[in-house]
Amino acid sequence: MPIVVNLDVMMARRKMSLNELSEKVDITLANLSILKTGKAKAIRFSTLESICKALDCQPGDLLEYIDK
Amino acid sequence: MEVKTNSRTGQILDFMYILAWVAFIGLMIEAGAILISYGVSCVNPEAARNLYKGMDLYPLRHYSFWHYTQSVSLIFALSAMKSFILFLVIKTLSKVNLKSPFTIEVARTLEKISYVFLGTWIIAIINNAQNEGLLKRAGIFIEDRDAGEFLFMAGLVFIISQVFKRGVELQSENELTV
Repeated sequence: MPIVVNLDVMMARRKMSLNELSEKVDITLANLSILKTGKAKAIRFSTLESICKALDCQPGDLLEYIDK
Repeated sequence: MEVKTNSRTGQILDFMYILAWVAFIGLMIEAGAILISYGVSCVNPEAARNLYKGMDLYPLRHYSFWHYTQSVSLIFALSAMKSFILFLVIKTLSKVNLKSPFTIEVARTLEKISYVFLGTWIIAIINNAQNEGLLKRAGIFIEDRDAGEFLFMAGLVFIISQVFKRGVELQSENELTV
């Protein structure tokens, strides 16, 4: 898929672990892992909103379009 | 409301599972009885008078053993195919999980059922053609099977299997939505 999720990059920048993020955004570790590994097929606005809030970033920081 | 519907669907599926088992056992008994009666009729031709539930193939047995064997084989094959369909239905029903019902295994089994229905339709057609031939050649009347219903069922189950496959894709998408 040409949409790449840069969740791991943002987490590294904010020095936040997956467990910590999971607690903050109230999303299971399994679902966050799906998102982090790029297996996700879709993301809800509510999820995006809570991740952006927790990581203090913009949706554009998390999602990137790469034409393959 | 949703929970109520789910439990009701579960109950219906459980009931259908039991029904499928009963029908499967019934058809297996039918196929077995035909086979055993045929075996007996090979030694004692009188047994062909009541092959299964009054099915009288004595005139055919008397006319030609070869044609008699052919007819019994086709009748047996039809029963066996119907049993196999029910076996696949039981397999499908035992795999259905109402929490995530759309699995590729169930979709494939449904597709397989449609192909078996198609095979059954072909056998029923051959059986009817043979019966017609016997009526013309020897004047022996054997009741025809309704072949059309098998083709109808094959088409119907195939369409359902294709829709089910789409359901599998949608469920997978839904499961991968974070």
